[in-house]
Amino acid sequence: MYPDDMFDAIEVVTASREKRKQEKVANLSAEAAERLLRKFHPDYKESAFRNLRAGVNRGARTTHEIADLLEAFSDLDYSKIDLSPEYDTDVLVLGGGGAGVTAALFAESMGARVVLATKLRLGNSNTIMALGGMQASVDEHDSPVRHFCDTMTAGKFVGRRDLVKALVEDGPRVVKWLLDTGVDFDRDEAGNLLTKKAGGMSVPRLISIGDHTGLNIMKVLKDEIGKRDSIEVSEFTPAVELTTNQFGECNGAILYDLGRKRHFTVRAKAVILATGGSGRLHMQGFPTSNNFGATGDALVIAYRAGARLEGVDSFQYHPTGVMFPEHMVGVLVTEAIRSIGGHLVNARGERFVNELETRDVCAAAIIRECESGNGVTTRSGKVGIWLDTPLVEETSGNGFLRKRFPSLYRHLVRVKIDISKQPLLVFPTLHYQNGGILIDEKGETTVKNLFVAGEAAGGIHGRNRAMGNALLDIFVFGRRAGLAASTKMFNDPGNVTLNHVHRYYDRLKSLRISSVAKSPTLFPEFIVNKL
Amino acid sequence: MHNDKTMIIIQLEGRKIRLPEGLTVIEALWDTGHDVKRGVGCLSGLCGACTVAFLEKGGKKVKFGLGCQKVVEEGLNVIMLPYFPSRVARYLLDVMEKPLEHLPEIYPELYTCNDCKACNICPEWINVAGVMKAAKDADYETATEHIMDCIMCGLCASRCPKGIAPQHVALFIQRALAKERLFPPNLQKRLEELESFQFDADLGRLAAMVDDELEAHCRQAEGG
Repeated sequence: MYPDDMFDAIEVVTASREKRKQEKVANLSAEAAERLLRKFHPDYKESAFRNLRAGVNRGARTTHEIADLLEAFSDLDYSKIDLSPEYDTDVLVLGGGGAGVTAALFAESMGARVVLATKLRLGNSNTIMALGGMQASVDEHDSPVRHFCDTMTAGKFVGRRDLVKALVEDGPRVVKWLLDTGVDFDRDEAGNLLTKKAGGMSVPRLISIGDHTGLNIMKVLKDEIGKRDSIEVSEFTPAVELTTNQFGECNGAILYDLGRKRHFTVRAKAVILATGGSGRLHMQGFPTSNNFGATGDALVIAYRAGARLEGVDSFQYHPTGVMFPEHMVGVLVTEAIRSIGGHLVNARGERFVNELETRDVCAAAIIRECESGNGVTTRSGKVGIWLDTPLVEETSGNGFLRKRFPSLYRHLVRVKIDISKQPLLVFPTLHYQNGGILIDEKGETTVKNLFVAGEAAGGIHGRNRAMGNALLDIFVFGRRAGLAASTKMFNDPGNVTLNHVHRYYDRLKSLRISSVAKSPTLFPEFIVNKL
Repeated sequence: MHNDKTMIIIQLEGRKIRLPEGLTVIEALWDTGHDVKRGVGCLSGLCGACTVAFLEKGGKKVKFGLGCQKVVEEGLNVIMLPYFPSRVARYLLDVMEKPLEHLPEIYPELYTCNDCKACNICPEWINVAGVMKAAKDADYETATEHIMDCIMCGLCASRCPKGIAPQHVALFIQRALAKERLFPPNLQKRLEELESFQFDADLGRLAAMVDDELEAHCRQAEGG
């Protein structure tokens, strides 16, 4: 329930609704958008960034939150860790989301023995939270070439072309694989895959399963992995360090058993990192839409092993994250509400940006409003602006929101907020790590036998990811990494060492860097500052 | 630290405890020193890891919900539920011609359902009993249509006196149905085009362009 002192603010939204309906907010010119971004988008806030002092990416720019983890000694006592492998396998997959499960399934299909280790329960990931859909050029008027252009444009032309090419070419093929595995995408009357258009697409390209696309795909893949004999799943065992052999090639990982509170080593001929992004590091203090476990572990352990990162100074802030009620702060409100006409409204009852601008521009505009005093302040001091959901209900008919966005509607009704009658207070939420560990088109990093897939990987999305490309990317590169990793199954992994870690620490010591952090972070401690 | 907060008293995991209002069950557990990781996932009410059972103040009936969505209130008596074990059938979808015909052998317990509706405690408000009835009556389209929001939390399975796991039964039906559908013609056409390397030349040309040229080309393509 909204507290009494917010009703006045809600009244402003209601009162201005009729007037706003007549208004048109023009799109910003390219120059104006650029100016807005430079002034208000968090990626351009210079004080939030610094250059790395050590490692492969020395001199590269990243956020303090990530730099703090990369330039730190782990709090592990390495001398107490037993490096003789408890498990020996062909492929070790780290991460149990869409990318990890896909990689495991494909590696197994090539005859490899697979161990899949995940921090939480299998399937607890950002994949299940992908609501809107997945891009794949299956529409008659579409083509992989168009998909290529749209993806490059969205990424401001810094995405790696060979990776984008792989993404768009494999798109229709992974859709076929998903269908064959038993994923039921929405169809039109003729049985064609139904495609929807979304921001940044020149033609309709988004295929979906109601409003729960990721969840319904993940359920099927999780079910499938349980039916494969050569995949061993190890839950609640996050990776805390990679291991290398005498040549510096990756050959396994040290996992931490959360239940028994002990470390153990898995040796493998190839390792696939699919541990997702870093939203739970709460970059620049932003709320996040990410899963509990998204703490950027892959970046830390891969960087110590010598893998090159790319674009880790670019993040996607989804314009509309919940700002009230308190317990839902950061939870995503899907873009679809804006694409069917939901207005963004400031405290004075005015629209201030065209709601269909790209995510980064919308986010910057909301931040501008809040910083210039046009935001609405909650009791706990959080500031946001309104997303006029009753307007959507009004134009699309009674019961529309409940039917079309059931889970959002339910979650708010539980706390006595009816979004068909009252607007929602929103603010940008940290949503996606655009960069990550650089991969080639097989998914391999600059460290031999180390593969990366999913959000942890970098180079695909440039400086801004288009909606629906993340869900595609996890299957395309999960598959590629799984297939390529399985070709290593006849190699000799060599001795398990932590030489790379000591080498990296020597470098830190020589620079007089002495900070000790719990890195990788594994679990956020955000409850402390929320109270 | 909590001076400006209203404090409430609840029973958490069997312990009477005072804490600030407005926390979810998960946050209340963290706040009181429970190191909960096993029952935590997305924190958005979608992963189904954090099921809880609770009795509200003055309430007569135990209710069920999700720990990341249930906000604690005065007098609440709440515990987290461990993940409930359910039988998951093993089957290989790709070797079945008509997978739906195999439902009776894959999940025979479905047919012992006597529609007692004990399973209708879904935190996602799914009419689980209705879905099971439709499944039993071989109305698979209806069954899948109503199960789309299922987050596999397994609460329904924990209540079933017949030992049916509705979430796994429904998932099999969803997968089988998807498998039996007509292969989408638009995808078929696109795959054939890909097989005949129809886009190779164009993609190769784009990938080899210098930056300015590619940018100009893409902007033009978007306009057109």
